[in-house]
Amino acid sequence: MIRALASLALLWTLLFAAPARAQETGSDLPAAVAEEQITVSSDYRGSYITVFGVNPDRRGRGDVVVVVRGPSSTATVMRKRRVFGVLVNGDPVRFSEAPSFFAVLSSRPVRQIASPQQIWRHQLDPAATAQLDSAVPVGADPSAYRAALVRLRRSQGLYQDYSGQPQQDQRGGLTIYRGGLFRAVVRLPANAPIAQYHADAYVFRDGRLISSQRNIPITISRVGIERRIHDLAVNASFFYGILTVLLALSAGWLASLIFRRV
Amino acid sequence: MIYLPIAEMPVNVLLVLLVSGGVGFLSGLVGVGGGFIMTPSLIFLGVPAPVAVATGASQIAATSFSGIMAQTRRKNVDWRMGLLLSIGGVAGSASGVWLFQQLLVLGQLDLVISLLYLLLLSLVGAMMLAEGLAVMRGRDMPTVRILKRPIRTIAHTLPFRMRFPRSGLYISIIPPLALGFIIGALAAIMGVGGGFILIPAMIYLLRMPTGVVVGTSLFQVAVVASLVVILQSTATQTVDLALAAILMLGGVVGAQLGARLGAGLKGEHIRALLGAILLAASVKFLWDIVIMPPEQYVLGGGLW
Repeated sequence: MIRALASLALLWTLLFAAPARAQETGSDLPAAVAEEQITVSSDYRGSYITVFGVNPDRRGRGDVVVVVRGPSSTATVMRKRRVFGVLVNGDPVRFSEAPSFFAVLSSRPVRQIASPQQIWRHQLDPAATAQLDSAVPVGADPSAYRAALVRLRRSQGLYQDYSGQPQQDQRGGLTIYRGGLFRAVVRLPANAPIAQYHADAYVFRDGRLISSQRNIPITISRVGIERRIHDLAVNASFFYGILTVLLALSAGWLASLIFRRV
Repeated sequence: MIYLPIAEMPVNVLLVLLVSGGVGFLSGLVGVGGGFIMTPSLIFLGVPAPVAVATGASQIAATSFSGIMAQTRRKNVDWRMGLLLSIGGVAGSASGVWLFQQLLVLGQLDLVISLLYLLLLSLVGAMMLAEGLAVMRGRDMPTVRILKRPIRTIAHTLPFRMRFPRSGLYISIIPPLALGFIIGALAAIMGVGGGFILIPAMIYLLRMPTGVVVGTSLFQVAVVASLVVILQSTATQTVDLALAAILMLGGVVGAQLGARLGAGLKGEHIRALLGAILLAASVKFLWDIVIMPPEQYVLGGGLW
């Protein structure tokens, strides 16, 4: 209930602030996230991120693209090869910068909205964001590795793309309302890393970027026992290891004690 | 469902309890740590491989410790032998971690692990199954033969001999130390306790009586697994305390039940059963390294 009210309040401010700001700068898109802070406790099973915004064009012309990104980190993609009849993970290719989470939502498929150069420059595609770090093995195709990275991460639910209206049975997707208001809902799976996320919103018209807002922060953090365990594991790892072993030994001892009585 | 703080994923508590309970049961029954089933099962449930390996070790420690308690009451632990094996194990697991890193740099860790599993599981499994079945058919009684010990192995001829009253042995300390070292190294590389290699080696190489073998191997496995937990949580921070707690709970209860049932079973039956399990597991590894999956590319997991 409170969240719904907050969203509504956000909507109102956006609606009223929008025309003035859009006219002032011409490239500033009014947009915000409903959940600036997502907390992870022991019953966490994933979450949703909602990005609101208003298309500065009063008549709602143009295409909206919303991107939600997790932090970038290194990634390695390897290929299975057959050596003497045995499968070997070979030909590793390293990416120095690959987004750990990447969702792109658009009113139409992104390729129809923006040119390949723009997709590359504004990083509207996870493949565009991933930076190759090592040389590709002789005879191999770098784009095949890039595509494999996207495909593998997509199957884990970490890379998502939605275009057009949301489907009946799923919550994720981009909805555009009359008057230029848009709402993008991204499903954040439970396996997505706990970190600082960012949302970007863009409006393209006739293949040109006319308005944008980048780096709207979304913080995902642990709370309660989840936080305490994690902090202990990171800050006092030796003590944490001893603690785990003691727990293991006492569990074993306790079980044998109980079962002797029975 | 509970969210794991280190693995960063939710798991079904009941399912994990069931899996760890089953592995624990097997562990109590035949005296293996069960890591060679536990670690792949966790990975199958979606736990990242480094977390599965490191956290699995804590469950092995708990299970084997509760196993030791049960075996001690039946006076089935040769402490002197266990201590020697553990000294070798500590040195072995430390150098195993080093080797692990070298293989990581070479990028062939996966293959080495799969090949090691395939080789050891199928070899040991076939050996134990064959002998167990032969005894069950009533051809001859190898346990009697072992107790008489007419066969001298290398353990009896090497220098630095020592008396092991509980096992009724007078053998050199070099083979137990070396055996402990190898098991420790394998444990660090493969993410297993190593009981499934240790037990046959103790029976066939050291010629220890079958009854003492299980308890003594549990002792060494508990020491090595505890060390691996501490090493891993310090070096890689991949030990998940919440997951470990669930695994321990299922593991120790299963182990107690298994040890209870194991007391009523004959050694030959247990060995035949273990042999069959090992053979079944080796088929899975053969499948993995021979059959090309539809997805040819693989993502390097979190740490590698």
